[in-house]
Amino acid sequence: MRKAWRGVVILLATTAFFLAVVFFLIHITPQPPVVEMDQSRKALYDAQRNRADLYSKKLYNQARVFYDSAMVNWQKENKKFIYLRNFEKVARFAGLATKKATQASENSVSSASNFKVTLKQKIESLNGLTAKIDDMFETYPLTSEVRSRISKGKILLEEANVAYDKGQFLQANRKLTDSEYLLTESYEYANSNLKNYFKSYSVWRNWVDKTVKESQKNNDYSIIIDKFSRKCMIYLSGTKKFEFDAELGKNWVGDKRVRGDQATPEGMYKIVKKFDSNRTKYYKALLLDYPNEEDKEKFRADVARGILPASARMGGLIEIHGNGGKGIDWTEGCIALTDNEMDSVFRIAKVGTPVTIIGSMLDLQHVMNR
Amino acid sequence: MKNKIFMGIAAVAMVAVLSSCGKKPQVEIDATNTAIEAAKTAEAAVYVPTEFAAVQDSMTAIMADVAAQESKLFKKYGPAKLKLVATLDLAKKVATDAAAKKEEVKKEAEASLAGIKTVLDENKTLMTKAPRGKEGAAVLEQIKTESAGIEASVAEAQGLFDKGTYMDALNKIKAATVSANNINTELKDAIAKVKGGKAKPAAAPAKKK
Repeated sequence: MRKAWRGVVILLATTAFFLAVVFFLIHITPQPPVVEMDQSRKALYDAQRNRADLYSKKLYNQARVFYDSAMVNWQKENKKFIYLRNFEKVARFAGLATKKATQASENSVSSASNFKVTLKQKIESLNGLTAKIDDMFETYPLTSEVRSRISKGKILLEEANVAYDKGQFLQANRKLTDSEYLLTESYEYANSNLKNYFKSYSVWRNWVDKTVKESQKNNDYSIIIDKFSRKCMIYLSGTKKFEFDAELGKNWVGDKRVRGDQATPEGMYKIVKKFDSNRTKYYKALLLDYPNEEDKEKFRADVARGILPASARMGGLIEIHGNGGKGIDWTEGCIALTDNEMDSVFRIAKVGTPVTIIGSMLDLQHVMNR
Repeated sequence: MKNKIFMGIAAVAMVAVLSSCGKKPQVEIDATNTAIEAAKTAEAAVYVPTEFAAVQDSMTAIMADVAAQESKLFKKYGPAKLKLVATLDLAKKVATDAAAKKEEVKKEAEASLAGIKTVLDENKTLMTKAPRGKEGAAVLEQIKTESAGIEASVAEAQGLFDKGTYMDALNKIKAATVSANNINTELKDAIAKVKGGKAKPAAAPAKKK
């Protein structure tokens, strides 16, 4: 019996000793920074939820690198003999990861909010620009290339709107940048083209004054064509009597320079021939003395200066004719009126009636504020 | 002698108990990682981003847990194994959800593509009926240019659709649809004005906003 008791006591003592050893060994085991790692993981997850991977990319990536470094170091330490492990580096990396992830998160929330406001402003500004382009250059003969750039810019703006509404701000920003480039460039091109064109305004004004005075002095009819407003105005004795809508050459901006440029010339001309319906395919026509001496001289100078090639030929056969009313600038450089209006003009016009063609009666400021 | 044998058995049993569940669940880790990769391939980050981020975070937490166990004298991978099983299921579900969402977006993009093509065709018909009076034809020329731009955008969207990037295709189509619908309204208004006699037949289509 005593022997049995002795056995139990020995067993208990051995177990207690064994447990004590185990607890001692556990106690002296280096502890990994579990709490710190958990904090940094949570901070990273929060940062990702706040889209720091998009709006605070640098800080977020730094946080990720620190977290990954912590994990790598942790695994490296785990491979060492248990009592030789040192988790200080792991804890340091975890702390840095938490710090960077928190910063990234905060930064992202504030950036996204500011970004949203900036994008909205940009969208509104570009909407304004497209409205301006539509208002000012709706019927201006911009090249098809410029027109399609404007069209592309508008579509990109719409795509930016869709992305913005979905909260995809970075995508919206990329689209807006492309749209802004296309629209601004097109607007600036069109605007500078328009400004250049209006540099001749004082000359046009001078021609108009002369033509009106001539009409007053001769107590006779004079015709003025305003290309910008597409009007054909009939003056009698210095007073405007009629005004008709006119259609011009497809490429009406600027003076006519060469045959086939589809431009309507600018200058002071006279009617040299009248063609009734039997002698023109355009209902009725009034042939102008284009090119006049001034036009010829200018053409020769342009060829001499190399502005025009030596093979260039002068245009001609510019008329005021019928078949108009198409609602578009379609002629090769002539001025087209509706047949009814052509009848009226044909009745009053005679060989020698002055026809002055100008860019615009109104100055650029007025044209832009129309 | 009997006692010594008894003590030996007890010690071995103790060690066995204390070090039970001590094997790193590498098979489960690999399986879960494979499932996460499959979800990634199924474009879960695009179609179900929140759920996918949650799965990734779960895996990160589990890996930290495994590392913590590896640091211990007596390892206990039981809870990590359970979490791995749950995350594996979740990753599979996310992959399935992503595929379903992708299919849904595909169908929406397909319907939108068909829809915009109908609008573009209708616009072409309306253009033939639109008033061509003063400035009308010029505005129509512009509308034609804009329609060409929209058609190019639709072609791009079709390209994205064919490549399987349905979300991008859908976004593009949505934007193009807004532009095509604007033109449609503009043309219909212009035609209605002429028919209703509210404006002269020569009037141009309503100004674009």
